[in-house]
Amino acid sequence: MYVELKNINKSFGNFKASNDVSFGIEKGKLIGLLGPSGSGKTTILRMIAGLETPDSGDIIVNDKVVNNVPASKRGIGFVFQSYALFRYMTVFDNIAFGLKIQKVPENEIKERVLELVKLTGLSGLENRYPSQLSGGQRQRVAFARALAPNPKLLLLDEPFAAIDAKVRHELRHWLKEMIAKLGVTSIFVTHDQDEAIEVADEIIIMNKGGIDQIGNPLEVYSNPKTAFVASFFGQPSIFKDYNKFRRFDPVGEVDQVIVRPEFVKVTKKTETQKYQNSAEEGVVTDVAFRGTGLELTILVNGENITARRRFDQAPIEVGEKVDVFIYRIFATAGDKVYPLENQSLREPVVVI
Amino acid sequence: MNKETTSSKVTKWVLISISFIFIALMLLLPLITVIIEAFKQGWDVYKQAVVDDYTVHAVLLTVEATVFAVIINTVFGLSAAWSLTKFNFKGKKILTTLIDLPVTVSPIIAGLIFLLTFGRQSPLFPILQDLDIKIVFAVPGIVLATIFVTFPFISRELIPVLESRGNDEEEAAALMGAGGFTIFRKVTFPHIKWAFLYGVVLCTARAMGEFGAVSVLSGHLRGKTNTLPLHVEILFNEFQYVPAFAVASILVVMAIIILILRSVIEYTGMRKSNVR
Ligand SMILES: Nc1ncnc2c1ncn2[C@@H]1O[C@H](COP(=O)(O)OP(=O)(O)O)[C@@H](O)[C@H]1O
Ligand SMILES: [Mg+2]
Repeated sequence: MYVELKNINKSFGNFKASNDVSFGIEKGKLIGLLGPSGSGKTTILRMIAGLETPDSGDIIVNDKVVNNVPASKRGIGFVFQSYALFRYMTVFDNIAFGLKIQKVPENEIKERVLELVKLTGLSGLENRYPSQLSGGQRQRVAFARALAPNPKLLLLDEPFAAIDAKVRHELRHWLKEMIAKLGVTSIFVTHDQDEAIEVADEIIIMNKGGIDQIGNPLEVYSNPKTAFVASFFGQPSIFKDYNKFRRFDPVGEVDQVIVRPEFVKVTKKTETQKYQNSAEEGVVTDVAFRGTGLELTILVNGENITARRRFDQAPIEVGEKVDVFIYRIFATAGDKVYPLENQSLREPVVVI
Repeated sequence: MNKETTSSKVTKWVLISISFIFIALMLLLPLITVIIEAFKQGWDVYKQAVVDDYTVHAVLLTVEATVFAVIINTVFGLSAAWSLTKFNFKGKKILTTLIDLPVTVSPIIAGLIFLLTFGRQSPLFPILQDLDIKIVFAVPGIVLATIFVTFPFISRELIPVLESRGNDEEEAAALMGAGGFTIFRKVTFPHIKWAFLYGVVLCTARAMGEFGAVSVLSGHLRGKTNTLPLHVEILFNEFQYVPAFAVASILVVMAIIILILRSVIEYTGMRKSNVR
């Protein structure tokens, strides 16, 4: 393990920002630290960087306990959520700052900065001030500045949060490629599940200062280990009453039922439904356009379920009666999660 | 609609006129009077009053007290502003409140406090006398009083600027290995430069004009502990009107220079910070 946190605790006053946090990160991996706002992600990142001190527990980087190493000696690259660019320095001077501190010879600094400027697509902007750049460009400068001194570990706090949706998408892929190319071990914080799934090799899910689950994107998505993780991904509809859904194996007492839109199939009355017998009838209460298709809200057995339909399928209107078939649900009891499949999927389909 | 615009126009001009008349009566008229009175008996008399030994000494003492006040309040102002905005500690509230004390306490009271602390009645007096340190009715007392009354000017300018900005640029610099002084010089100072200069100007202006506290501590020893404002008062009390106004005009000129500096700093500072 290149970075290891062992039983880290941290409180601000009475507020427990980190609760017994432990995890390990392999060298060269890109890790997504995912959790809702206020779950303690930034605090973890700041403790690794040395900007906060844990109340207890060890932080180990490259086999050395670094708890007592000051931030300035850890040699960690950090991209702040706000970018924290030096606003009275040009792009060039921003990127050169770390190298100047290390007293690298002038000509080498120039070479390295220009190399990074090119790598990050900032050519021609070297003499601009941060205020004269767009959000995406600032983000690249922050990235280049953090990388200039060749850190072995790169920490990024919500690197895309301040960037508009379209550019964000491009930057995500750009960042993933860039980090893969450089091979620098990286941890990036995000509250956006899609971002974590798209970018990270491995995801650490935080909730209320603690870690709920660690795994690769597919694992955490399809096999949530806690009720929180199950409800965090996708755009789930959540109900209390388990008995409203037929044809799922009973698992005893259940707190809530989580249905993700991608596990819901909606058919018009005029269309054929493969599992007609186990589909439920519902009434469409809302239709919203999303970039990828229609988002439907359907009232089924007194519960609102969110589902999706593609644009190339026949349109559906508010008030229309439709058939709803649910492939899969997550039932949660306490902190346990039961993924349940619709029994019809296991039965031979009778074609009439 | 039309009526409303007319009446708001009238309001606007009435208010502007009131402001101008007020400024003319309260500020310009006295200033012009000072200059006219100073030159009433011609240039030669004016010059004589200005190059008078006692006057020159008073100018030098005023400059000395001002320089000390600015230097010491710079050090104090930077430390106080820095610690109040960058750290959390016990007594932060108390420090914030105490910084403002000098502007809320009347300067005369401030002077009396120093008089009681260091004067003959004070238990400290014998100790000071043994060490051969003279504070009351001596130059150190004047410097001390000037520092006291100008205490908050620099820190008060810096605190809002530092507060509005957070720490992350400093943190970013620290993460790249920069030490405290480098961070201050390269990251923090460029940001507070204009506010700082503005604070220095205000501090200077206030230090030069200080009368109350200095008056109590000075003892009015001509050629020894007389600052410019005190010198003016003495001349005036001696019915030497022309010299009094002549000396006062020196203060007026100094004030105008400061005013110009202030505008330049404000203007440049505003332009620079608009770019960022
Ligand atoms: N310096 C601090 N002082 C007091 N509370 C803090 C401090 N830093 C963070 N917190 C609190 O800790 C909690 C977690 O913060 P943070 O780690 O920033 O969460 P996240 O990055 O996941 O949004 C928040 O409720 C925040 O108010
Ligand atoms: Mg955060």
